[in-house]
Amino acid sequence: MTVKIWAVSESPSVANEVASVAAAIAGGAGGGYVVVGLDDSGPLLAGDEKLVVRANTLLSASPEAASDALAVAAKEANPDVILVGSTRDGKEIASRLAVKLGRPCSSEVFGVALGTGALRGKRNVFAGKFIAEVSMTLPCVVALKVGTSPTLPASAALAKERMVGVAAPKTKMVERREKQKGTVDLRGAKLIVSAGRGIKKKEDLTLISDLAAALGGAVGCSRPLSADMGWLPEEHHIGLTGVTVHPDLYLAVGISGQLQHVAGVKDSKVIAAVNTDKSAPMFEASDYGVVGDLYAVLPAMLREIKARRH
Amino acid sequence: MKIAVCVKHAVDETELKVDSGGNPQLKGASTKMSTFDKNAVEEALRLKAAHQGEVVVVTIGTPEAKKTMKEALAMGADRGMLVSADPLAMDTRRTSELLVAALRRGGPYDMILCSEGSSDMYSGLVPPMLGELLDLPYVGYARKIDVSGQLAKIERALEDSVEVVEAPLPLVVSVVSEINEPRYPTLIQIMQAGKKPMEDLTPEALLPGATPPVPLVREMKAQAMARKRVLYEGLPEETAKKLVDALAAEGVLPR
Repeated sequence: MTVKIWAVSESPSVANEVASVAAAIAGGAGGGYVVVGLDDSGPLLAGDEKLVVRANTLLSASPEAASDALAVAAKEANPDVILVGSTRDGKEIASRLAVKLGRPCSSEVFGVALGTGALRGKRNVFAGKFIAEVSMTLPCVVALKVGTSPTLPASAALAKERMVGVAAPKTKMVERREKQKGTVDLRGAKLIVSAGRGIKKKEDLTLISDLAAALGGAVGCSRPLSADMGWLPEEHHIGLTGVTVHPDLYLAVGISGQLQHVAGVKDSKVIAAVNTDKSAPMFEASDYGVVGDLYAVLPAMLREIKARRH
Repeated sequence: MKIAVCVKHAVDETELKVDSGGNPQLKGASTKMSTFDKNAVEEALRLKAAHQGEVVVVTIGTPEAKKTMKEALAMGADRGMLVSADPLAMDTRRTSELLVAALRRGGPYDMILCSEGSSDMYSGLVPPMLGELLDLPYVGYARKIDVSGQLAKIERALEDSVEVVEAPLPLVVSVVSEINEPRYPTLIQIMQAGKKPMEDLTPEALLPGATPPVPLVREMKAQAMARKRVLYEGLPEETAKKLVDALAAEGVLPR
């Protein structure tokens, strides 16, 4: 059976990753895949075919309008699988499309493979304690967990355009503020030093940032530090409801290791922890751990790292 | 303002055990109100305090879900609707259809609040499906909600940006946990919660003639945590050196 796969390029940051999953499924099934962009959502890189959907309203600014337009185009082309990145807006587009097209839908899916008449995949459940195997009968809509797949080289296929008419969205965006870029880009970081409640006061975060700087890494934190204490902006929050990261090294400092936090870091290559409490769950989720006071251990680590440079 | 809050009675993931087959031991597992749903209830109560009105809690669950319902009522919600069904035995579409049918009975509402996702499955698909099925404005991932007259002004927390969105009432909103700090009910509130009205509904009555629900989950297996778990204890200078040595040997430190 040849299958037709759509990779929706809703956001440039995940587009190529979604396309690579589409390419893998299509290649295995002897079908093709179409990368579908929304008006100005960014240049389309990969794709056996490329399609840009435009409408009478700006689609990249409204998940509602985007799903309206994609539904019109999907009803014409009838792809067996529609893949979207499982970003916050991506999940809205996926669930709206699923309702509009009457298709099964799952989110935060990884490890997808085509079965007989169905797409199978995995997703983390119970804060990552268990992995569920999900099966969606074709045709379906799937929001893919991002940050886990490779990206693809660009293809030479020319992009076709399709103009559709949609109703004005029911909500109006009146302002958009980009979060500070450069100060924190945890998703792509190779090395992250992360702070938790073991830090006693805000000024002591320099212990974390100094070590991160010496290692060329980024600074993250557990939820209490951003949400409750407000010591770091929300975009530093790593965990189930924050950023999911997959660095080569994740160093958790003074973080007890609640499931919600570990869920956001478990794809890291190596995990290390520093904590005074030997029974902290973070050690269970770590490759290496130091039982000790971070106020003594971190300066000692910094000295050790600097000594090695000479 | 008449506000509906959709909450989920969920297995407490922190207490969940693995059975001998590597599956979650769901029978007899400890349960709770889905963590972030408390923020949705809190926000409804905050809006009620500012604009007067009524807060109605809707849930789909087994009889045990009354526990979650009572907790929401104890926090300050006025009444509840319980749809008797197992949410783990259906997909998000059916969950959304049942919630919509329940909401249509008790409505109309000025606002329907949810959390961004449940602490057990964390799909995040139901809130936008409610907006879609009810044909109402939907704003996801709210971290601040202001209502003035018939207009809601909402800050959305996205991955790389914050958006300010305006939408007319009635609408559906999902909230993120940083929007507020949920209150703890007092002992008196907990005792009084049992006296508040709770309506029992069935899927058969809400969606007569519907096909049986199709869960998408085939099986759930314990996540293998293949970590080395090497622990160093002792003097800071020694343990710090051992850790740096180990990380260098792994090749994860910059050279």
